[in-house]
Amino acid sequence: MRILLLMLFLTFSDSSVMALEVDDLSVSCPAIMEEEKVPLNLQKFRGKVIYLDFWATWCPPCMKSMPFLNSLRNELVEQGFEIIAISVDEEPEDARKFLRQYPIDYLIAIDSTGQCPKTYDVKAMPSAYFIDRKGVVRYIHLGFREGDKEEIRRRVLELLAENEGK
Amino acid sequence: MMKILKDASNHTLLVVLCMTMSACSVAPWERGNLAKRNMLISPNPAHSSLRAHVFESKEASSGGSGGAGGGCGCN
Repeated sequence: MRILLLMLFLTFSDSSVMALEVDDLSVSCPAIMEEEKVPLNLQKFRGKVIYLDFWATWCPPCMKSMPFLNSLRNELVEQGFEIIAISVDEEPEDARKFLRQYPIDYLIAIDSTGQCPKTYDVKAMPSAYFIDRKGVVRYIHLGFREGDKEEIRRRVLELLAENEGK
Repeated sequence: MMKILKDASNHTLLVVLCMTMSACSVAPWERGNLAKRNMLISPNPAHSSLRAHVFESKEASSGGSGGAGGGCGCN
């Protein structure tokens, strides 16, 4: 009887209770930075506007967003903008193979365990979390379509204009 | 009597549990395997297309073979 009740509790327990929302302080999660092979530490990026992107090689809109994101990053990197793209592929090698074929300039982290998207309660693929210079999640963008480019750019520029130079 | 009631409640809980297991969702980031080609209802589109063409020619009708959409959870 107790086991059955426990199973029922586990079935209905909501893992997204601690999900991150707009105006919450961003948190680090156990993704591994691909270049440095160290865990992702968002504290290190305080003072920069961060576009935290969740992507996977099996997600066509994610692939579609990459050339745009790369050019946006390269255009605004001097102003304190950076993109951290967390691959949620079950097989990390899928992401590495893809990136060898289509290299990008922004930072890549890999989380094949699903802990990061769970922490951020990712609701669609791709999902992007706009983090301001103080480390606060200011906007969450779900999916990617051609028409989203202008909005993404506008929001990034807005965040870059806040607390500029601090 | 008490034993019968206890057994009945246990069985009811088990049935409810089994029914709710089907309600478990797949998170958007867990759909990599579902997005694989061999998870398609029709894993060989060229073969299916040929069959559909033959069917349409014979029956002089087309359509009714399903709708668009995949399982990758994108957008």
